[in-house]
Amino acid sequence: MTQPVSIIMIEDDEGHARLIERNIRRSGVNNEIVAFTNGTEAMKHLFGADGSGLVQKGNALLILLDLNLPDMSGIDILKQIKENKYLKASPVVVLTTTDDSQEIKRCYELGCNVYITKPVNYENFANAIRQLGLFFSVIQVPPAAT
Amino acid sequence: MTAEAQRRRAFWQILLFAAGLLVLTVISAGSVYLVNKARDDNKWVVHTLEVENQLNALLLELRRAESGARGYLLTQGPNFKADHEKAVAAIVPAVDRVTRLSADNPAQRESIEKLSAAIETRLNQFAQEMDFIQQGQPDKATALVREAAAADTTSVIGRVAGAMIQEEERLFRLRTVNADRSQTFAASMTGIGSGLVVLLALISVWLVRRSAQARDDAEARLRDANVNLEAVVDERTADLREANDEIQRFAYIVSHDLRSPLVNIMGFTSELEELGKDIFRRIGGLAAVPAGGSPADVSSIPLDGPDKQLSADFSEALGFIKSSIARMDRLISAILNLTREGRREFQPEKIETREFIEGIVSSLAHQAAEAQAEIHIEPLPNIVSDRLALEQIFSNLIDNAIKYLKTGVPGAIRIRGRTKLGYAIFEISDNGRGIDPKDHQRIFDLFRRAGTQDKPGQGIGLAHVRALVRRLGGTMSVSSELNTGSTFTITLPIHWNASNRNADK
Repeated sequence: MTQPVSIIMIEDDEGHARLIERNIRRSGVNNEIVAFTNGTEAMKHLFGADGSGLVQKGNALLILLDLNLPDMSGIDILKQIKENKYLKASPVVVLTTTDDSQEIKRCYELGCNVYITKPVNYENFANAIRQLGLFFSVIQVPPAAT
Repeated sequence: MTAEAQRRRAFWQILLFAAGLLVLTVISAGSVYLVNKARDDNKWVVHTLEVENQLNALLLELRRAESGARGYLLTQGPNFKADHEKAVAAIVPAVDRVTRLSADNPAQRESIEKLSAAIETRLNQFAQEMDFIQQGQPDKATALVREAAAADTTSVIGRVAGAMIQEEERLFRLRTVNADRSQTFAASMTGIGSGLVVLLALISVWLVRRSAQARDDAEARLRDANVNLEAVVDERTADLREANDEIQRFAYIVSHDLRSPLVNIMGFTSELEELGKDIFRRIGGLAAVPAGGSPADVSSIPLDGPDKQLSADFSEALGFIKSSIARMDRLISAILNLTREGRREFQPEKIETREFIEGIVSSLAHQAAEAQAEIHIEPLPNIVSDRLALEQIFSNLIDNAIKYLKTGVPGAIRIRGRTKLGYAIFEISDNGRGIDPKDHQRIFDLFRRAGTQDKPGQGIGLAHVRALVRRLGGTMSVSSELNTGSTFTITLPIHWNASNRNADK
C-alpha cells in the first residue's frame, strides 16, 4: 500500500479543529489533514462536482465528522458517505459535543466506526484524540473500491 | 335575562298562584254557604206548603165531622155516627200538628190559638148534639145546630183558617223568591269563580310557557358557551404545549451550543497552561544564565523572587478559569439531562412499590450506613406508573434524606404510603436538619439550594423530582421546620396512563 491515508476533517468550529489537529500531530500522526468548516464544501470535496464520489475512487480516506454543522446535519453526511460505493469503506469518526445516547445509537446504526464525545475536560479530550492517532496508526484503511 | 326580570317573573307567578288559591277558597266557602242557604230556603218553602196542607186537612175533617153529625141527626144511621166519630178523633191530632208546625211564627200562633178555641167550642157543640140525638131529643139537637150556626163558630173557623192559609201563601211566595235568589246567587258565584280560575290558569300557563322559552334560550346559550369554552381550552392547551416544546428545544439547543465554545475555552486554557510553563521555564533559564553564555538545562532551574510570584499568579488565574469552566460544564450537563428527561416517553407499568423501594434503599445502603441512618419502609400501595421516573424520584428523595441528616444524631428515615380517591400518597420523612419554611419554594427551583452548603450538589435533584412528579400527573410538597426534620409528600395517580401526557406530545 503506497498511497498515504488522508484525513478529512469536517468541523465548523475552528478552535476545535485546531485542538484536534494539534493533538493528532502530538500523537505522532503526520498524515495530510484536509479541513472543512462547512458541510457543503466537504461534500463537494468528497463526492466531486457530479456528486457521484468518483473523484475519490482509489483514495484512502479517514473522515472526522462533527455532527453540528452550520449548513447541514452531520448525520446526513454520514448517511451519504455510507451509501456511496466509493466512500462507504472509509472509516468515519464522529466527533461531537453531544453525549445523547439516542444520537450515538443512530450514528452507529448508520455505520459510523467510532463515536467520540468532545469532553470539556481537556486532558480527556487530548487523550481521546491521541488514542485516535494510535487508532489511525494501527488500522488498515481498506483499499478503496475500484 | 337579568336576575331582576327573573325575580319579577317568579314574584308574578307566586302572586298568580296565591290569587288562584284565594279565589278557589272563596268560591268553595261561598258555594257551601249558598247551597246551605238554598237548602234552608227550600226547607222553609216545603214547611209552608205542609202547614197549608195540614190546615186544609183540618178544615176537611171539621166538614166531615159536621156532615157526619147532620147525617146522623136526620137519619140516626149508625154509619154517619161512626163517620162523625172518626172525623172528630182526627181533628185533635190535626190541630196539634198545625200548632207544632207553625210554632215558629208568632202571628200564626195567635191565629192557631183562636182557631183551636173555636174548634174546641165546635167539638163541644158536636158532643152535645150527639148526646141529644142519642137521648132521643133531636129537637134539642136541631136547636143546637141552629144555635151553632147562629153563633157562627164555623165561619170563625173558616175565616181564621183562611187568614192562616193566606199568611202561609204569603210566606210561600216570599220564601220561594228567597230560595230562587239563593240558587241564582250560588250558580252565578260558581260561574264567575270558575271563570276567574280558568283565567288565572291561562295566565299561569302563559307565564310558564314564557319562562320555559327563556330557559330553553338560556340552555342553548350555555351549550354554545360550553362548546366555545372547549375550543378555547383546546386552543390554549395547544399553545401551552407548543410553548413548552419550544422551551425544551431552546434549552437543549442553548445548552448544546454553549458547550462548543466551552470546549475551546478549556482546550486553549490548557494549551495556555502548557505555554505558561514553557515561558516561565525559559525566563528561569534566561535569568540564571549569564549573558553570552550557553543556556544550560533550563528546566531544572528554579525561579526566584518576582518571577516566582508571577508564575504563581499565572497558575492561580488559570486555576480559577478551569474550575469555573468545570462548574459551567456541570450546569450545562444538568440542563441537558433535564431536557432529555423531558423528552423521554414514559411507559406505565405495574409496580410492586414496597419491593421497588426496598431495591432503591439497598442501593443506597452504603451511604445510609455511613450516615448511621436507619430506613423504615411501611406497607405501600402498588401503583401503575413509569418505573425509571419513580426510581429517580424516590432515590433522589431518599438520598437527600440521608445526605442532610443532623451530624451526630442517628438518622431515622421513614417511608409511608396510603391511598385516597384514586391517588397514592407517599411520605418520606426524616429527623434531619430540616428546611427553613422561607426556603420551601426555593428548594424546588433549578440550581437553588438552602441551608448550610456543606454537601456537594448542584441544586438539581428536587427540581428534577418535581418535574417528573408533575409529568406523572401528581403533585409534591414539603413540610419542614429547621432542626426537626422534613417530610416530602408525593401524590401520584394510582393508575397513571400514558395517554393523558404522551398524547400531548
